Amino acid sequence: MAIDTSITTKEKLQPWQGGFWLSELAFPVFIAALCAGVFAGTHMFYVYGTGVFNEIAIAALLQQGFDGNGYGAAAAFGAGFMLARIIEGPMVGILDIGGSIQTGVGIGIPAMLMSVGITAPLENFWLALIVGTAIGLAMGFLILAIRKATVSSNGAQSTFGADVMMGAGNAAGRYLGPLIILSAGTASLPVGIGSLIGAALFYWWKKPLAGGAILGAMAAGAFFAIEIPAV
Amino acid sequence: MSDWLVIVFDSIIIGALCGFGAGAGVARMFHAPKVQGAGAFRTLGELNACENDPIAHGSFGLGFFFNSWATVVGSGALTGDVDHRIIPHWAAALSLWRNKNLDETLHNPRRMAWLGAIVGAVLVTFLNSTATAIPDGLKSVAGAVLGPASAWLLNPVMPAIFWLAAIDAGRRAGAWGTVLGGLAHMVFGNAVPGIVLGIVIAKGVDDLGWTKVTRSITVAVALLFIVSGFLRGVDFTLLTQLNIDVPTWLAELHRVTGTTPAK
Repeated sequence: MAIDTSITTKEKLQPWQGGFWLSELAFPVFIAALCAGVFAGTHMFYVYGTGVFNEIAIAALLQQGFDGNGYGAAAAFGAGFMLARIIEGPMVGILDIGGSIQTGVGIGIPAMLMSVGITAPLENFWLALIVGTAIGLAMGFLILAIRKATVSSNGAQSTFGADVMMGAGNAAGRYLGPLIILSAGTASLPVGIGSLIGAALFYWWKKPLAGGAILGAMAAGAFFAIEIPAV
Repeated sequence: MSDWLVIVFDSIIIGALCGFGAGAGVARMFHAPKVQGAGAFRTLGELNACENDPIAHGSFGLGFFFNSWATVVGSGALTGDVDHRIIPHWAAALSLWRNKNLDETLHNPRRMAWLGAIVGAVLVTFLNSTATAIPDGLKSVAGAVLGPASAWLLNPVMPAIFWLAAIDAGRRAGAWGTVLGGLAHMVFGNAVPGIVLGIVIAKGVDDLGWTKVTRSITVAVALLFIVSGFLRGVDFTLLTQLNIDVPTWLAELHRVTGTTPAK
């Protein structure tokens, strides 16, 4: 996808324009804030089991690593996405925070750190904030540097197939609803029926199936206990 | 109980930071490509689809809020929608409540950053604190149901979806995706990273040709595969399974670096 970056229309200057908030230098600051929050969210997930800023499927990748099954998949998946988004971001003018920050900084970088045995940033909240801020500043300035190098040149530009991956990523999320119902039905019949009712209601209310399926399964599980497989 | 307080305290800071960055990034998107924004194309599209009506923004965010809530209660994952959809839309709704002038509200990074910080702090704290307040019994039901479902999604559903997307995206993307995807399954245990990297390389070459940028990405990907393959002892396993004796120096190298694959 080629993007025409040669803007010729004269912009009218707003009171807040030309100031800090729309300036180049503000960008790394915002990215640092986001990265600090997302990285610390992963710290929460590691310590308290809640709060990671990502989809269940991708959080499960990282959880596999926490459970001792290796961090390779999470690290490669996160780093691959981050690489693509950091290259794409400056070229189109919009950095995708899902791929670059939530998956890259929230999953990929923690997985890389953990795979080489660096656990401190995930164990300590304040250290997580500091590491996240540093990563964010580095990413922000890197993106500004790529932007300087590429946007000024008038050649054809590429999003490196981000639209393809975005489409596939969104499609993957849709599969989770049916999978949860299948899994619930396998666990026990009452839980399966509860999950089915929840999913049907959510579908009727035009909400994603997955949420209803989980809540329905939990509601049924509260009354009809199921055998929990040892983890 | 003290754990719960720590979670609330941490969540307020995390939510405010994320909301601040997301709010400002989203407002800056409306000035792209002149100004570097952050968010996503779909976020931009969805914000425009609500046509600057505070009620529309609010209810759009609310729909995803319930989904995120259900997800975090069940699995501890907030979903990407918190940063992508709920914070931007609720900040937009608050921002547009009294003032319909877009330049002063939705397109103004300062206003969106502070409103985003407030929305984020309240939202993340609510989600995390209610998720941890759920009784353990209920959580384990959710885990027992979600565990297999997310494992299936991870493998083989996601690889298949990404694979088909790569194949549908042109012959070059299909070829790179197939080769790297298959290798990635054997090296990383999951094909998705390989397919993603294959799409990145192929689409880069489609759009740019073999330039310095695409060549360096390809080299980086090749290095990633080689290094990961060694670290995970794939070479060792391959030789063993081909019934070839592993050379002593290689076995020794793996033993010293602690990368001998478990039998």
